[in-house]
Amino acid sequence: MVLDIDRCVGCYACTLACKVENNTPPGIWYAPVFEKEVGKYPNVKRLFIPALCNQCKDAPCMTACPTGAIYKREDGIVLVNEDKCCGTRACVAACPYGAMHFYEDEGGEYGEQLIPLDSLTREKYTSGTAQKCTFCTHRVDQGLQPACVETCPTECRIFGDLEDLDSAPSRLIRNRNGEQPRPEAGTDTSVWYVR
Amino acid sequence: MRSGSPLTFSFRLEPKPQTFWHVPHAVWFFAMGLGSALYLNRLLFGIELGQVLGLSLAHVLGLALVAVGGLILISDLGRPERFWRALMNPRHSWISVGAICDFLFLFLDSLYILPDLTLQGRQPLASFAWGDAWWSFVLHGIAAASAFIIIVYPGLVLSFSPSIPFWNTTLIPLQFLFFAFASALGMAVAFQAARGQAIPTTWLVGEALLLCVCLLLVVFHLINAYQVRGTARESARRLLRGQWAPHFLGGVFVAGLVLPLALVAVAANGDAVLMAAVSVGVLTQVGNFLSKFCVLKVGLYPPIF
Repeated sequence: MVLDIDRCVGCYACTLACKVENNTPPGIWYAPVFEKEVGKYPNVKRLFIPALCNQCKDAPCMTACPTGAIYKREDGIVLVNEDKCCGTRACVAACPYGAMHFYEDEGGEYGEQLIPLDSLTREKYTSGTAQKCTFCTHRVDQGLQPACVETCPTECRIFGDLEDLDSAPSRLIRNRNGEQPRPEAGTDTSVWYVR
Repeated sequence: MRSGSPLTFSFRLEPKPQTFWHVPHAVWFFAMGLGSALYLNRLLFGIELGQVLGLSLAHVLGLALVAVGGLILISDLGRPERFWRALMNPRHSWISVGAICDFLFLFLDSLYILPDLTLQGRQPLASFAWGDAWWSFVLHGIAAASAFIIIVYPGLVLSFSPSIPFWNTTLIPLQFLFFAFASALGMAVAFQAARGQAIPTTWLVGEALLLCVCLLLVVFHLINAYQVRGTARESARRLLRGQWAPHFLGGVFVAGLVLPLALVAVAANGDAVLMAAVSVGVLTQVGNFLSKFCVLKVGLYPPIF
């Protein structure tokens, strides 16, 4: 996936689309949009930087996991097998991007009074386990795009196969000098940024 | 709505403190390190703390501390009933390697010391004593290697991760190693004085050397962090001038390292030996624990851009 920072307007549509699509637990956002102020007065501007799990080729979360619960599919998507996770949080500490989350069932979105969304969350996720963005594998496997990509009004999230040199994301990375987040971490991310 | 909602909260791009490793983890690191170092000191250098029910107190305390550390680790899991799964990925995960060594150590050392158990003058398990057979040396070797790994693996867990630059250095497991031996020897010095026995000069010299190495490692770590721009420097700044400065400067630097060094010198001179030795024993534990606690507390994730 390529994220075009120039196009992001900070509407958080991706953040909410992900929340709705995945029923993520309270306080857990797989697709946040970070804000950063750059420049000096009077030439100041605010950047919006969309983020998600970077599906690292050399994933530190996978290395840190003592149970082997984190695995990589053939297409490079890194997933958590909740049934194997024993909840050490080692992956949460190891992820350089804050993309690993730990789900502790401590009530719903509005505290102790649960709403229907909370019931769905409890059905879907196992308390005491690690959670992460799945690149919406349930959609990708049906030939659809991840919810965050589908919903972005400015098309700043571009999804495709980075192995295919003619794919839209590959061309963007080539033509606009794409960069990986925190390259010094040496994780070789599958998510790139252009600006 | 909870904090973290994009409707009420800005996801500001700034260094974020880690929030998952707390006091229980520091206790886990401390207990396991101290317990294993007590065992290794006894096995390799014959440093004893005394006897209880015919058993070596160094072994009993070592076993108890490693067991307590293991229990803390298990109780902190999100799914404690699946703790056995933490033994499944030793090729990649230091936690997995450490968990395997914990169990090996607890099993082997229990087998080793139980034949010495003396109840009402009798040793009911004496027939299970290891003796001098070749396999007893092999089992001792495995137990000693396990104990060594138990001391350093929490440091390796921290240092292998690229996520937090202040932790991403070999100096962390080295600090864990030397602090563990310094506090184990400090405890031995205190027990020796409390039993009214003369403290061997080699113990005091060894303790002084270990404390000096710890001091150097801490200083190198800070200098190293200050040389790396960004989040590692901010972590070091928080240790020296931020919220955790009293714990680090007062607890680790002064109470845990400088003061015990001075007290070792006092004890070596033969002045107020009991007070000095007991103080060394207590202060080195404080310094060992707080060194781990402070390192955990100043862990910061850099922003992704």
